[in-house]
Amino acid sequence: MAAVEVRDLRKRYGSFLALDGVSLTAQTGQLVTLLGPSGCGKSTTLRCLAGFLDPDGGSISIDGSDILGVPANRRGFGVVFQNYALFPHMTVAGNIGYGLKLQKRPKTEMAERIADAMRLVRLQGLEDRYPRQISGGQQQRVALARALVLRPRLLLLDEPLANLDARLRDEVRWLIRDVQQESGITAFYVTHDQSEAMAMSDMVAVMKEGRVAQFATPREIYQKPVERYVADFTGEANFLSCTRVAPVAGGYDIEVAGAHLRVAGVPGIRDRAELLLRPEALSIAPDTGQALFQGRVEKLAFLGASQHCEVRLPDGGALKLAVQANRPVGVGDQAGIRIDSEHAWLMPEVRQ
Amino acid sequence: MTDQTNTFGNRRVMAPAFGLLIVLLYVFLLAPLVTIVGASFTGGLLMRFPPEGLSLQWYREFFARQDLVDGLLMSLRIGTVTAVVTTAVAIMAGLAGQVISGRWSGWFQIGMTLPLLVPELLTAIGLLFFLYKIELGKSVIGLQIGHILMSFPYAYVSIVAALRQVPVSLEEASASLGASGWQTFRLVILPLVMPGVAMGGIFAFINSFDLYTVSLLLKPLGGNTLPLALFDFLTYEFKPTAAAAATISILLSILGVALVQRLVGLQRAF
Ligand SMILES: Nc1ncnc2c1ncn2[C@@H]1O[C@H](COP(=O)(O)OP(=O)(O)OP(=O)(O)O)[C@@H](O)[C@H]1O
Ligand SMILES: [Mg+2]
Repeated sequence: MAAVEVRDLRKRYGSFLALDGVSLTAQTGQLVTLLGPSGCGKSTTLRCLAGFLDPDGGSISIDGSDILGVPANRRGFGVVFQNYALFPHMTVAGNIGYGLKLQKRPKTEMAERIADAMRLVRLQGLEDRYPRQISGGQQQRVALARALVLRPRLLLLDEPLANLDARLRDEVRWLIRDVQQESGITAFYVTHDQSEAMAMSDMVAVMKEGRVAQFATPREIYQKPVERYVADFTGEANFLSCTRVAPVAGGYDIEVAGAHLRVAGVPGIRDRAELLLRPEALSIAPDTGQALFQGRVEKLAFLGASQHCEVRLPDGGALKLAVQANRPVGVGDQAGIRIDSEHAWLMPEVRQ
Repeated sequence: MTDQTNTFGNRRVMAPAFGLLIVLLYVFLLAPLVTIVGASFTGGLLMRFPPEGLSLQWYREFFARQDLVDGLLMSLRIGTVTAVVTTAVAIMAGLAGQVISGRWSGWFQIGMTLPLLVPELLTAIGLLFFLYKIELGKSVIGLQIGHILMSFPYAYVSIVAALRQVPVSLEEASASLGASGWQTFRLVILPLVMPGVAMGGIFAFINSFDLYTVSLLLKPLGGNTLPLALFDFLTYEFKPTAAAAATISILLSILGVALVQRLVGLQRAF
């Protein structure tokens, strides 16, 4: 059980700066997700934590003591790999017992702990199979059990679900979360799947080109992103450029697509700003009096539970929104759009 | 429907042509072996194919000839030591090669396989001078060194191929579970590359068993390997005993190849 502090981590590969000052913290028992697109430095960060890579700068401490000088095999962290990394020449029980064998634990204790770990990840009965004789989902659970059986201080998982199909992914994802919460282990979890990150984590670090763009709770990341990049990466989003921004107490007065409204937003915005509207903050107004924007329905897709709808605004902007499944709208209709300004969020506009 | 064609053209015409080519190739490859094996069982007095009657007399003769048996034993001994030493060194070299990165790794590979790239005769002459300088000229140890040098690339290539098959993540997983470098090597890497190591050893052995030029230049006085002994023998007597000796060599090679096949099968199993 441990609190982890990563400070200003730097790593370069040749002339390429893979980590450019990554800072993160994890309280005891938290699951912290590193989220970001391919190549942003998630694995590099995790591998520095695990001790497989030496960072060029920065520090990593656990419960206050620096661990950068400690080799991987003395850190006592459990690591779960994307490709499972099971030892192909050992049985399931052999894999799980590997660490215990190295610690020269007595036979009875070993057998007991292996059995416990196998029960934890629901793998009973597969002890004597070899990794190639079990399914991908089972292999990933063996990998999890192998890491957990040593009761690590910290659990590190690098895209553990990436090689599983959608159904298994759900199953193993909840298993990981349950086991992590039950055992109260601090964990770092790497993924590029935002829904995975949202559902599982206590804290999310959205990474961008070797830096942490935002480090906050999933709710905050989703509802109050600090920049467009974060908003884009964490779900469906509409962005509207504001034509006027004036800070007022507790928010901003803005003018956007011809409408005036008051919204909350990232503190300290001066001039250029854009409004984030998540699809669920928008709805089609029953009568035009309540509508803030007017537009023409351009695309409509029936999704079962709802309809996906895209509306073109007169000034050229477009809005994506979810409409009730049985609402009678058609492509080409004029529609009034209502917004829930509670769920609107103002962010500084970055010129691309 | 179009006629099935591939890179080599029309299948209906090409298939029989290919078949013929392959049959010819096999005839070409196997004819000398069949002849020599056949000749070794001859009941007559001359090396001849087809054999005249069947008998094992030439095998009896082979094992009765002290010089040939000594040669066989010498070859077996040198080959065994060669196999053991080359595989041990090749494992270390292979591991070192994995750590060397970038520009140097290519040069390292070339360096390790150099004996394959330089004509055997040149290496042999160079070795002869060198061994005389360090006072090992015309000694069994000198001969042994020569064989190890010439056979090393075979072991190296096979072992490096096996090492490449072991993903780095296995080593990292092992370390994260508390294993030291040596423990990871002994418990994870070595078991996984063992088939490749054995294969490398067998290749090195067969190569050593076959070496002629190097043996000729480096052999100690009166210490012939089997190929040298056979050649000496054939210079004076052109008898089917040589065919028997050759057949014994072939048998040993086939044994090696069969073992390699089995090991390749084993490697695939993972
Ligand atoms: N050994 C290496 N040598 C050179 N560059 C590397 C090396 N490892 C990673 N990189 C580079 O560093 C950057 C970060 O890599 P990293 O593996 O951390 O990305 P990631 O966020 O895990 O991506 P993914 O989601 O694809 O796994 C990438 O641009 C990658 O090309
Ligand atoms: Mg990665």
